[in-house]
Amino acid sequence: MSVDPGSMLTFVRFLFAFTIGSHILLVSSSIALILLISISEFLAIRGHDPVYEALARRLSKVFVISFGVGTASGIVMAVELVGLFPSFMTLVASTGAMVLLYAEMSAFFLEVLALVLYVYYWNSFRGRYSHWAVSIFVVLGTLASAVFITMLNAWMNTPDGFSTSTFVTSGFKTITGIQPYAAFLTVSTVSQVFHVLVTTLFAGTMVIGAYFAYWFVRSRDAGERAMYSRALRILGAIAIITIILAGISGSEEMGNLLVNQPLKYAALDGNVVNGTNLPDRFFGSIVNGSYVGGISIPGMQALLAKFETNSTMLPGLSQFPANTWPPLLVTTTFNVMTVGGLALGVFMLVFFVSFVRKRRPYESKRLLHLWIPAAVLAMLVYQLGWATDEVGRQPWIVYNVMTVAQAANTSDALLVPGVIIVLFYLAVVPVTFYFYSRIFQGSKKEAPT
Amino acid sequence: MNGVFEVNYAAFSMFAALLITEIMGAVGLLIAWPSRSKVLDYIVPVWEVTGTFGALWVVTGDFAYPGLLVPVSEIFTPLLIVFLILWVARSASIAFAEFITKRGWLDEEKLFRSYAAATLVLGIVVLVLLSSLVGGQGVSLTSGSFSIVSWVTAGSVVFVVGTLLLAVGLAPVFFDLPALRNLVLPLTGIGIVLSVFSYWLMSPGLLTPWMAVPVLLTLAVGALYAWQRTSKIVANKAVFLAVLSVIIFSLQPLVYPKAIGQALPIDAVTTTGAMADAFLSITVVGGLLLALMLSLYVTVAARGPSGPGPSSTN
Repeated sequence: MSVDPGSMLTFVRFLFAFTIGSHILLVSSSIALILLISISEFLAIRGHDPVYEALARRLSKVFVISFGVGTASGIVMAVELVGLFPSFMTLVASTGAMVLLYAEMSAFFLEVLALVLYVYYWNSFRGRYSHWAVSIFVVLGTLASAVFITMLNAWMNTPDGFSTSTFVTSGFKTITGIQPYAAFLTVSTVSQVFHVLVTTLFAGTMVIGAYFAYWFVRSRDAGERAMYSRALRILGAIAIITIILAGISGSEEMGNLLVNQPLKYAALDGNVVNGTNLPDRFFGSIVNGSYVGGISIPGMQALLAKFETNSTMLPGLSQFPANTWPPLLVTTTFNVMTVGGLALGVFMLVFFVSFVRKRRPYESKRLLHLWIPAAVLAMLVYQLGWATDEVGRQPWIVYNVMTVAQAANTSDALLVPGVIIVLFYLAVVPVTFYFYSRIFQGSKKEAPT
Repeated sequence: MNGVFEVNYAAFSMFAALLITEIMGAVGLLIAWPSRSKVLDYIVPVWEVTGTFGALWVVTGDFAYPGLLVPVSEIFTPLLIVFLILWVARSASIAFAEFITKRGWLDEEKLFRSYAAATLVLGIVVLVLLSSLVGGQGVSLTSGSFSIVSWVTAGSVVFVVGTLLLAVGLAPVFFDLPALRNLVLPLTGIGIVLSVFSYWLMSPGLLTPWMAVPVLLTLAVGALYAWQRTSKIVANKAVFLAVLSVIIFSLQPLVYPKAIGQALPIDAVTTTGAMADAFLSITVVGGLLLALMLSLYVTVAARGPSGPGPSSTN
């Protein structure tokens, strides 16, 4: 059986999208988990609280699984990238983008060695704060891994550190003007890293929180409920802080797109023609060259994007050749993401107000029932955010340098391994979350008496 | 001397040393489950570190040889897929095994044995890959493919058997099993002879005077363990791993200056210029960080495991 290159290109796109979508499910939970563990242990030491202590110990076991599976998944993705997009990876390996991957290894080592010390040598440290300090290194290693990989994505959005024109005109054969460290700070790096970090943390926090919310509502065991309540108190605080930062960084990110990726900006906001004082639009669509339907809020676009006034000139799709436009589906995914983010903001505001009024929202059955669908929405918004970023850059894999079609390996030999990888993720993600729960629940004997 | 190659090969040496010790443990788990505690005390904290060194080897390889990235991945696609599946099976089964409580048919023993089986087969896959990188068996550079049928030659098979024998021979040293002390030197000796013979079978040119270094170091490990007064020195895990890394590092003439059956000149495919400078600079900074973390790890590990896992607290 042979598959035509066009269909294989679609398969390759789907395969990598599916892989990364599954991978970030694991990774976002991982980041939230280690932060929760670190804060729990700190509170346990400071307040001599055995419930926090037990929470940290039990979660540390879960984190080992999260790390093990997440790492294996990361290695699968790394190999997959070479197989699916060989020309892209050759470019990465020949430029400063590779430096980011190498730097990521340092973060990875920091994370793994600190994790091993933290989990397996818990009582071997001379002081409790010394042990807790190791958790900070795990957090730093985990966050640094996320930062470096996001930097690589920022480099794909706004490539820097080599002569793009020479590379393109030579038919991808000649790479000159290499500045190995330029990839660390492209024009989009700061805003993208800021936004990705806080949204990742928010999504992971909501997912982990949903687990505790479910068990808090269901459990009859007072000791267990006390533990879930404490976990939710920490997670609620993290979620409130990160949703605020997500809003600020999202606006910052749009401001950056406005300057550095105007075509993506125009597609996201559904601007057919450029202009000033444009409305912010939701849930319409672009038909025959004009935006129809949906809701419009006059004059909001520039304000939301750059905290600026209506004098800002906003880009439109018509300024760019139609064959460079991304799929206009991104207008809808962006809308769902924005409105979903606002809804989550409202939920966390209610949580915050309840907290300020000392109503203990982390023990409110009504709010905890709501937390579970909110977590699903948070993960949906997070996944859509990633999809919007990636699809919004299409047809490019490296913006204005190399298209996905040019980078992809369309050999049908990839079909069988690709299907195996899909099946692998379909199995490994639910099994991993099942084991999280089984191991957390299975270590109840560490609960305080 | 090619600094970029040396860094990549050093990363490989450390990864290979860790993987070999895991394979030693895996064999122990498969054939002597009741006396698993010595093996688990070592393997359970270290398996994540092995994986990280594996990733370091791959990333430094990507960095060092950008032009080889695509051809190598195309040639070894079947092996890489098998490797990935085994890698995931190994990581997932040991991660689950560490903390699982028995419920139904699935328990700690089944998961640890799955880990051991996956690790052992993984080790064999890595050896197949390495023998191809050394001797070129099974590799067709013109068609960019690998054939397991063509790989089966006397040289490659003896390479795998010799290396496994070395691992089995040195296992009593690493896990400090005095009851098996008398087996160490004979098995190690046969392993050395077979390994050297396999290099000669692959290509007589691989046997340079340098080969005396790994041979003598390996014999020294066996001899030091055979003598009771010095056995504790080489049975120290940090010392053993360091020496094993040095032994593997000293085997570099097998792939440098030419690899894949003397067909691939390494210097011609190594990154150069600003990228090479960046590679070496980051290696120095990252290496210092790694050395610091490893020294902290060794210091704390010397006090013995005392964490919430693994099975000891379940």
